[in-house]
Amino acid sequence: MNLLEITELTLDLPNGVRLLDGISLTVAAGETVGLVGESGSGKSLTARSVLGLLPERSTAGGKVLLDGTDVITTSPSELLALRRHSASMVFQDPRAGINPMRTIGDHLTETLRLCEHLPADQAKERAIEMMASVRLPRPEAHLRQYPHEFSGGMLQRVMIAGALSSSPKLLICDEPTTALDVTTQAEIISVLTEQRKSRGMGMLFITHDLNLAASLCDRVYVMSAGRVVEQGSAREVFSDPQADYTKKLVAATPTILVGDAEAAVPAELVPLAPAEPEDASGALVVRSLSKSYAIRGKTPVRAVSEVSLEIPRGGALGIVGESGSGKSTLARLIVGLESADAGEIVIAGKERTAPPRKRQERLAHARSVQMVFQDPYLSLDPRITAGKSIEDALRLHSKLTSTASRAKVIELLDQVGLTEKHADARPRKLSGGQRQRVAIARALAIEPDLLVMDEATSALDVSVQAQVLEVVADIRRERGLTVLFITHDLAVVRRVCEETVVMKQGEIVEHGKTLELLTQPRHDYTRHLIESVPRPAWDLDEAIEEAS
Amino acid sequence: MTTATIELKTRRVPGVAGFDTSFMVSAIVLLLMTGMAIFAPIIAPYDPNQVNFMSVYQGPSISHWLGTDSLGRDILSRMMFGARTALLGPLLVVVSSTVLGILLGVLAGWRGGWVDAVLARLFDVVFSFPSLLIAIMAVALFGKGLVAPVIAMSIAYAPYVARLTRSLVASERHRPYVAAYRVQGFSGAWIALRRVLPNVAPIVGAQSTLNFGYVLAELAGLSFLGLGVQAPAADWGAMINEAQSGLVGGHFLPALVPAIAVVIVVVAVNIIGEELSDRIGGEIPS
Repeated sequence: MNLLEITELTLDLPNGVRLLDGISLTVAAGETVGLVGESGSGKSLTARSVLGLLPERSTAGGKVLLDGTDVITTSPSELLALRRHSASMVFQDPRAGINPMRTIGDHLTETLRLCEHLPADQAKERAIEMMASVRLPRPEAHLRQYPHEFSGGMLQRVMIAGALSSSPKLLICDEPTTALDVTTQAEIISVLTEQRKSRGMGMLFITHDLNLAASLCDRVYVMSAGRVVEQGSAREVFSDPQADYTKKLVAATPTILVGDAEAAVPAELVPLAPAEPEDASGALVVRSLSKSYAIRGKTPVRAVSEVSLEIPRGGALGIVGESGSGKSTLARLIVGLESADAGEIVIAGKERTAPPRKRQERLAHARSVQMVFQDPYLSLDPRITAGKSIEDALRLHSKLTSTASRAKVIELLDQVGLTEKHADARPRKLSGGQRQRVAIARALAIEPDLLVMDEATSALDVSVQAQVLEVVADIRRERGLTVLFITHDLAVVRRVCEETVVMKQGEIVEHGKTLELLTQPRHDYTRHLIESVPRPAWDLDEAIEEAS
Repeated sequence: MTTATIELKTRRVPGVAGFDTSFMVSAIVLLLMTGMAIFAPIIAPYDPNQVNFMSVYQGPSISHWLGTDSLGRDILSRMMFGARTALLGPLLVVVSSTVLGILLGVLAGWRGGWVDAVLARLFDVVFSFPSLLIAIMAVALFGKGLVAPVIAMSIAYAPYVARLTRSLVASERHRPYVAAYRVQGFSGAWIALRRVLPNVAPIVGAQSTLNFGYVLAELAGLSFLGLGVQAPAADWGAMINEAQSGLVGGHFLPALVPAIAVVIVVVAVNIIGEELSDRIGGEIPS
């Protein structure tokens, strides 16, 4: 018998909306099953239903057999027993799932004392054991520490230790590494795999990242709009997708694997190297730029130190780094939101080091550089319609009449693949991808020399990300726009940028052509970063075979 | 089966507009009160100040629906005219304290630094005096009447508005959309006044509505003490004051009618204010 058997699960809201529509899936002991799909596909809902965590006032149909008991019809006390002994869950954001006022020790021993009725000293021993098994460095000391002293990756290990402390037969992981850096993700994944093997648990792993699912799972289910659209072994599904949706998803997913005779960008995009002599200075020149932040009672943190880089006109440079590498600070320095301690920034031959003060300076700076921010949900004013926000920017920088600017707005929207009807929509009515298009159109309205994109696609689903990257590529082709692309995702850089810079702790550790950098990394950190990126398990197998 | 369907229909689905009954009733009550105040000269059956010693302390009758007071004046007419000062005073206070508070709050929240620190201390000083005390001091300095207390209470209530505005603006200031405006080249003042202020205004407005009730009660209290609206002018607070002597003789109506009017309006305004701030909440409406 399977550990988990979901048959024809449906979930309805009282207003008639069907959230899940006939989901069937199984997980056997010792098996890792992936549940992949984009946001809103219902993958988290499906996973939560296994523990009986259904949305309020929803009605469920079908069967969810966990270890032989139907979760949907069972009594609350039996459900409690299932949650205590049969299955447990690891959530996306570890910080949201832990009481910040209590120690790690409290968190870990509480379950043991409540569910297994262990006395305090035994519970403490077990907690230390658990922490050692998820490879936390100093289990004894951690017992007395508070969540705020832990990094996201360490805290996620604590959550995993907590989930495993009841020795569950099934571990459900809901995007457990999405909020983490790639290198941390790789560590967490290896801990999870190791524990699954040694305990013979079944694992249901939810992720939006196809590469991660391919690297980890035996079988996968692809979900879209509350239905399972495809299932099968991970290798079959990803290398030979049958359903249209899966095909689209696989095609949209960027990868860092460099295929045969493949360039970073289509040939026509690569700028004709140093074009004219007058452009020799480059669109963006940054010379030994430094910025540190003073923290009271501590030594100042050097967010950016001695950074120098250059982008030729029409070029695209990627800046890759993990959180805290200083890449976002660098972006804010370049667009004039922060002031540098030392160094200089020259954009299209003009000095732009200091943040602008007077009106003329502000306008000139804005025409030099524009920025597209990470989160399209926050970077658009919620009260202002898409068209109006573009028009505001237009009319600040030009003397257009309102009819002329309206026409220009529609032209800009058209360029980013939106239509006139989107102009009157408030951001709330637009999807994430549409919002980011509006943000791009708004930046283009000013016709800047340089466009900075700070993690501009990381909040989007892969298929939407692919569309937005396509829009950027089109605009570069048409206008010869210079782009500085900041991201944590090596695979995205590979799609967009011909040159890449790797940052670590405020410094540039490697700089080179994107393809060379990915295939022959020179710096250890770059190599570590590339190795941490999940890739399909079968590719690794083949690589090992080839090597031997 | 049928019961289940009915139950589902009556449930409030989140996100669907529709105010509950208590809100609607409160809104209607306020509308009636306002109408009564505006049209008092037309609809009031008697002149509110017409003394008639022939009919002192009469109970409710067809000619005097709510009876008469110690001087034989018609209580219904006095209550209708009393609504004018009783509602106008708080309205003026709420509007001017909101305007003043928003300006100071935006200044403190947007500029931060020493401006914020100085204003915060200033607000603390104003907070440390009860608003009624400030109003009484103003009366002591500038004389009795409605003008001095209204000005004084506008100042006393401004810090409540300012503090809320300050915290909203300060958190709004760090949002990416503000950074986006800056990158586009807009000036700080433009962003603060034309974009951030309209975004926080509904929340502040909903909160200010709640102040209306407090101010109404306090101004009525001031008139009751004989420091606000002066007899013989009809005002709810002044009416209660004048009716004190009658209470001993068992004539409750002259005091009860204006008191109930105060309670009804304060409760109605509070229900509306609570509902509005619940709906608008801490979020920027879109």
